[in-house]
Amino acid sequence: MSDYFNKTHTWGRIWTAAALAIFLCIPVAISVHFNAWPKAEYFFKGLAAVAVIFYPTAVIEVISYAPLLGAAGTYLSFVTGNIANLKLPCTISALETTGYSATEEEGEVISTIAVAVSSIVTTVIIALGVLLMSVTGFITSITSPDSPLYPAFQQILPCLFGAIGAGYFYKHYKLAVAPLAVILIVLAINGGIQTGILIVIGVVTALLATHLMYKGGLLTKKDGGFDE
Amino acid sequence: MDFKSSSFMYILGFGVVLFVLVQSTFFLVRAIKRGKELGISSQKMKSTALQSALFSIAPAISIVATVIVLSSALGVVLPWIRLTVIGNLQYETSSAQAALNAMGNSAGISAAITSPEQFSTVAWVMTVGSVMPLVILPFVLKKLQTGIGKAVGKDKVWANLMSAAAFIGLICAFIGRAILGTGDKNADIIGDGAGTLSITGLLSSVAFMLIFTYLIKKIPKLQKLESFAMPLSMFLGMGVVLLVNHFLPSAYIVEWRY
Repeated sequence: MSDYFNKTHTWGRIWTAAALAIFLCIPVAISVHFNAWPKAEYFFKGLAAVAVIFYPTAVIEVISYAPLLGAAGTYLSFVTGNIANLKLPCTISALETTGYSATEEEGEVISTIAVAVSSIVTTVIIALGVLLMSVTGFITSITSPDSPLYPAFQQILPCLFGAIGAGYFYKHYKLAVAPLAVILIVLAINGGIQTGILIVIGVVTALLATHLMYKGGLLTKKDGGFDE
Repeated sequence: MDFKSSSFMYILGFGVVLFVLVQSTFFLVRAIKRGKELGISSQKMKSTALQSALFSIAPAISIVATVIVLSSALGVVLPWIRLTVIGNLQYETSSAQAALNAMGNSAGISAAITSPEQFSTVAWVMTVGSVMPLVILPFVLKKLQTGIGKAVGKDKVWANLMSAAAFIGLICAFIGRAILGTGDKNADIIGDGAGTLSITGLLSSVAFMLIFTYLIKKIPKLQKLESFAMPLSMFLGMGVVLLVNHFLPSAYIVEWRY
C-alpha cells in the first residue's frame, strides 16, 4: 500500500472523528440552548425503532460501497451522505470517462475529485436553496407537485442511471446480463423490495457471474473495459 | 420568530456547511496534487470536476425538495443540517417519525412541532441513529482496502473485471427499479413506483447517451464534449419526461402499485 493511501487513511480517520464529534454537538447545542433535554425513555424508544433497521444497513453499505468509492471517496461520502443517488453515479461516470479502474491509484485520485466536487456543489446548492426558500419560496415553487417541472424531478434516478448505464453496458455488456435478469425476476416477484436490498442482490450476482465467466474462459481483459 | 428557525439554528447550519466545504476542499486539493505527481493531465481532472458538478445539480435540487417536505414539522434548518450530512429522505423521515411516536405524538411529521423538548428529542434520535457509518469506518476501511489491494495484486485482469461487475450490479438495481419497481398502493406518491414516465426517462436518456457516444466517436472535434455527454443525456431525458407528461393523455400515465 502506497504512502498516499496510508496518509489518506490517517487523514480520513481524523476527519471522520471530527465529523462525528461535530454532528453529536448539534443535538447537545440544541438541548443546551433551548434548555430542553430529551427524556431517556423517549430517546431510547425512538432510537431503537431506527437502529434496528439502519445500523445493520450502515454496516452493509460500508462494505458494499467502499470498494467502489475508493479510500478518500468513502470517508467523504459517508460524511455527506446521499451516496447511491449522488456520490456513486459521479464516481462511476468519472472512472468511465477517464478510463481508470477503481483498483488503481489514478482511479483513487479521480474518484476523490468526483466525490469532493459533488459534495461541494451539493452543499452549496442545498444552502442556497434553503436561503432562497426562506426568502422567496422559489425552490418550493419549482419542486412542488403543482409545478410543471415536478414530473421531471420525480424521474431523476431513471434518467441518471439510464445515462450512466448506457455508457457502461455498451462497454461491458457481457457482465450486465446476469445481474439485470436476476434483478428483474426479483422485482417481478416483489416489486416493492427496497433499493438498498436490490443493490446488494445486483452486486453479489454480478460479482459471482463475472467470477464464474472469467474462470470458465468466457471473459478477457477487454470485457473489463481495459484494453492496455 | 419560530424557535426552529431562529438565528441560533442558522448558525449551527452554517457551521456544518463550513465543515463539509473545508473537508471536501482538503481532500480535493490533496487528490489534485497526487494526480499531477502521477501524470494525470489537468484536462482530465478538470473534466472530472466539471462532469461531477453537472451531475450533482439536479439531485441537489431534489434534496432541497426533501428539506421542504420535512420543514413543515421541523422548521427549515434541522432538515437542512440533516440532509447536508449523512442523511437521506427515507432515513430522516423514519427517524423523525419514530422519535415523535415514542413521545406519543401520533401526528408525527405531518404536524408542526411546537415543543422544544420534542424538537430536541427528534434531533437526538436523527443524529445518533445516523452516525453508525462514521463509528465503524475508521476501524474497517483500511483493512477492507488492504484486502482489496492484495486481491488486485494477484490477478489484475480479474480485479478490473470484478470492479466493473460491482458497478454494473449497482446500476442494474436502479435500472430494474425504473422498469418493474412498484409503489405503495395506499400512498398517493407520484414517482415512488416505476411506470410510463420512469421507463420514458430511462429509455430516452439511454438513447441520448448512445447517440452522443456515436457522434463523439465519429467526429473528433466533439471529443472535448465527452464529459458533458452523461449529464446532458440525463437532463434531456428529464426533458422528454416533461414532454410525454404534457402531451400523453393522462390515462396512459400509470405507475405500478402493490
